[in-house]
Amino acid sequence: MQYLIQLLISGLAVGAIYGLIAMAFAVIYKSTGLVNFAQGEMTMIVAYVAWTISTTISGNVFVVAFGAIVAAVLLGLVIERVVMRPMLGEPVFSTVMVTIGLAVILRSSINFIWDAYPHALDLGVGRHVVRIGSIGVRTGQIAVITTLLLLIAGIWAFFRYSKFGIAMRAVAADDRTALLMGISAPRVHGFAWAASSAIAGIAGVFFAMSYDLSPAMFQLGLKAFPATILGGLDAVLGSGLGGLLIGVTENLAGGYVSSGMKEVAGFLMIIIVLMIRPFGIFGERDIERV
Amino acid sequence: MRTGDFKQSYGELVALTDSPPVWLWSAVLLLALILAPFFLNAYALSFLIMILITVVGALGLNILTGYTGLISLGHVGFLVTGAYAYAVAVSKYGLPPIAGFVAAGMVPAIASLVVGAPSLRLKGLYLAITTLAFSFLINTLILEARWLTNGARGISLQRPTLFGISFDSDAAFTYLCLGFALLALLATLNIRRSRVGRALVAIRDNDTAARVMGINLHAYKLLAFVTSAFITGLAGALYGIYLSFVSVEGFPFLLSIEALAILIVGGLGSALGVVLGTIFIVLLPEVARLLFNLFSAQMDAMFTTGAQELKSMLYGLVIILFLRFQPRGLVGAWHDIKRCWVNWPLRY
Repeated sequence: MQYLIQLLISGLAVGAIYGLIAMAFAVIYKSTGLVNFAQGEMTMIVAYVAWTISTTISGNVFVVAFGAIVAAVLLGLVIERVVMRPMLGEPVFSTVMVTIGLAVILRSSINFIWDAYPHALDLGVGRHVVRIGSIGVRTGQIAVITTLLLLIAGIWAFFRYSKFGIAMRAVAADDRTALLMGISAPRVHGFAWAASSAIAGIAGVFFAMSYDLSPAMFQLGLKAFPATILGGLDAVLGSGLGGLLIGVTENLAGGYVSSGMKEVAGFLMIIIVLMIRPFGIFGERDIERV
Repeated sequence: MRTGDFKQSYGELVALTDSPPVWLWSAVLLLALILAPFFLNAYALSFLIMILITVVGALGLNILTGYTGLISLGHVGFLVTGAYAYAVAVSKYGLPPIAGFVAAGMVPAIASLVVGAPSLRLKGLYLAITTLAFSFLINTLILEARWLTNGARGISLQRPTLFGISFDSDAAFTYLCLGFALLALLATLNIRRSRVGRALVAIRDNDTAARVMGINLHAYKLLAFVTSAFITGLAGALYGIYLSFVSVEGFPFLLSIEALAILIVGGLGSALGVVLGTIFIVLLPEVARLLFNLFSAQMDAMFTTGAQELKSMLYGLVIILFLRFQPRGLVGAWHDIKRCWVNWPLRY
């Protein structure tokens, strides 16, 4: 029983990280209609920037968090402006391939800017163990789950009540009509990339705090994919919850079946979900013939 | 006087080419390729072999992505399945190499039915993600099935002897690869001009219209998957033989990206494009190395330490730049040049 609860808790913690990245996928998909295959790589870059800040400027948690978010927003804006905006209006195949090209470039840039060795991002917090009865939970795990829940609530409120959030939903629903209503689609796209990059960056920093930094971190993006599909590509909140579900499933598969199963549990779920409900649990069904 | 290029019968329209010079130059090229192993040194020959093997694999992907418009991010899955099918058949069970090549085609083709089934319901992005998931599942499956595949230890391979001819030396192996590349090229060209090829292209261009015209979408999509996987599997077997060792690490995910880069650089949906794209992509890292070498020796050191990273970075850059500035690929550029040459000084 204790083993199961321990698995569930670590599953929820790693699932919260997947959930954050899955939300980042969904934010971009919802406003621009494309899947950003470079999401995992952006997560990794932000985590490396955070590590650089912690070793060169200051190891204070707040300084690192602030620096990482600023870097993430800048990264998102630059990518949108330089790489993605010229591709506006091109077919899906082209834009998706551009994000894949971008992913490959960012992935290999790690080895040139930093190095190929693993590093620990030690901010002096997050590794204490809190005991609840006989079950130990790390503070970092509590923090990441709390962050996910707060962000889910925050994003829900943003899309529901703020003017810009409503504008983003309008662009997602019908960009031409949105343009006629005086909404600037490029600005919405820029904002979406910045926001998605920041959310993914937070996930990256949390991941680096509880595990380690390494050039293989981009695989987080692949791990978070199933979460996005499960929740629905266009459902930001659903993706967050999908992450928790995938994290728990993966950990249970790893704990009870085999470690190889842990690696592919998410992908198996993708295939099953796509066969049964291609638009995800919370996504909107596209009505299409043929 | 004929004022243009008119086709007067159906046969003329679907002929491989209507121009004698194209036949002549193709024959010259073939002759050059046959003579090449006698003149090239081992280093240059290794590039020729790589180009020939890669052409086979890229032609396989071209049937699926170029003709039928189904994006596959997991084609390396078929490549590795083909390589393992050959290795298991020949090295483990001692079957003749011919049987190995048949297995290398058939096993991925059967696997493709499993992957292709979701594609009947999914389109575009979702299909890309499914194929991506498939390639990871295949890797895990191979690592887990130790009794068949030796797991992470891999299987070592000998160069084959076919019809009493030993393909042990690099020069002889070049001819084997050349044979497969020619067969694959002829197969794709002939598929493209047949009823099947026209059906596939119709599905790519507008699947609703294709269905209205009586094309069975399910059957033809699956057919595209099977054909594509068959050819890609053969390329996998050749690659495995060339490496003389088959393991999961030998077939990294980067190969999927490389294949897509070839299609984009060459021009989607054209066999000539695949050939041009393959030559471009295979030689790109080498040419880049030589260019950097001119500038500084320090760059050269970077190439030896981070060869793999630099290679993937170049692929990424090439994909983005081509999609942005030359979306029709090298074939498009070639057609533009030809038109300029014919029509000059007029614009058209």
